[in-house]
Amino acid sequence: MKKMLKNDAFWFLSLSVLIILVVYGFNAGKGVIVAKTVYDTFFEVLDIIVAVSIFIGLFQVWVKPQTIVKLLGKGSGLKGFVLVCTFPILMGGSLFTVFPLLKALREKGARIGAIASFITAWGGKAPLLPLESKFLGWPFALVRIGFVIIFAFVMGFLMDWVGENTEKIKQEKSFLVDL
Amino acid sequence: MRAGYLYLLIAVMLLGLSFLKDKQKTREAVKATFKIFYVVLPVLVFVLMGLIQAYVSREFIVSILGQKSGLLGIFYAEIIGSIALFLPPAVFPFGGYLHDNGASYGAIAGFVFTAILIGVTTLPLELKLFGKRFTLARNLLTFGLTFFIAILMEGILP
Repeated sequence: MKKMLKNDAFWFLSLSVLIILVVYGFNAGKGVIVAKTVYDTFFEVLDIIVAVSIFIGLFQVWVKPQTIVKLLGKGSGLKGFVLVCTFPILMGGSLFTVFPLLKALREKGARIGAIASFITAWGGKAPLLPLESKFLGWPFALVRIGFVIIFAFVMGFLMDWVGENTEKIKQEKSFLVDL
Repeated sequence: MRAGYLYLLIAVMLLGLSFLKDKQKTREAVKATFKIFYVVLPVLVFVLMGLIQAYVSREFIVSILGQKSGLLGIFYAEIIGSIALFLPPAVFPFGGYLHDNGASYGAIAGFVFTAILIGVTTLPLELKLFGKRFTLARNLLTFGLTFFIAILMEGILP
């Protein structure tokens, strides 16, 4: 029981049932519409979500995020930039897991453009392709992932430009202090 | 055959392959799968879709996010994506739902990119780890570039 109360999924489920009941209490017809939408969508995606969960689980065990970061840390120059704009597309997880890894990469000397490119490319979300193609179609999914790569490149250039300007401002400031 | 079954089949085959290679790692993967399943299953978003179905008319969605809403529609979709507390797996069912109800591909693209890349929940962590300037620049640039990409996708997709 204690374990159940700690589980977010348990709370989300309870909250969902509560919302449906409240809507049903106010207006039975609307309550049925909400419940039916939840029921239909749930069974529409159940098999895909199980499959995606297995993909991500396997990927997490066989390709650890640390491995990817290490790989990217080694690549420098254009090759590193291309890697950083494409490889993270394959990663799962949320920004909460990605940010700390990138912080470590930054401390090892990665440019801020590379960090920003990584985050943008991570938004490609290839492990979720089965979900995306089911709900939005393959043309949308593939065109979007193509744009993610361009997006990541442009983002890297722009963020490096922002970063350089920061350095300049810092230098000017320290110059003033020295005076 | 449903596409979902095909994915399941591939997933089970990969699990088998993984098991042959390394039993311990596969056991870890299966354990992780259960946890991921709960995180990935966006029940609350399904409820939100139900609520929209019950209380918001299709005409309203078309009027703010439809093809005729143009650039403003993409802008609205990006605002929604930026403040929506969605985990990435919930983004696509919700985006598909909006599309079925008349939202344009451009608006959906705006929503999907901002929902994944800009997050109110991750903002404090980003600020703490990378500082004010990085966070501000990255989020603003993401919002701006998404706008252009969304316009292009609207043009490319039928």
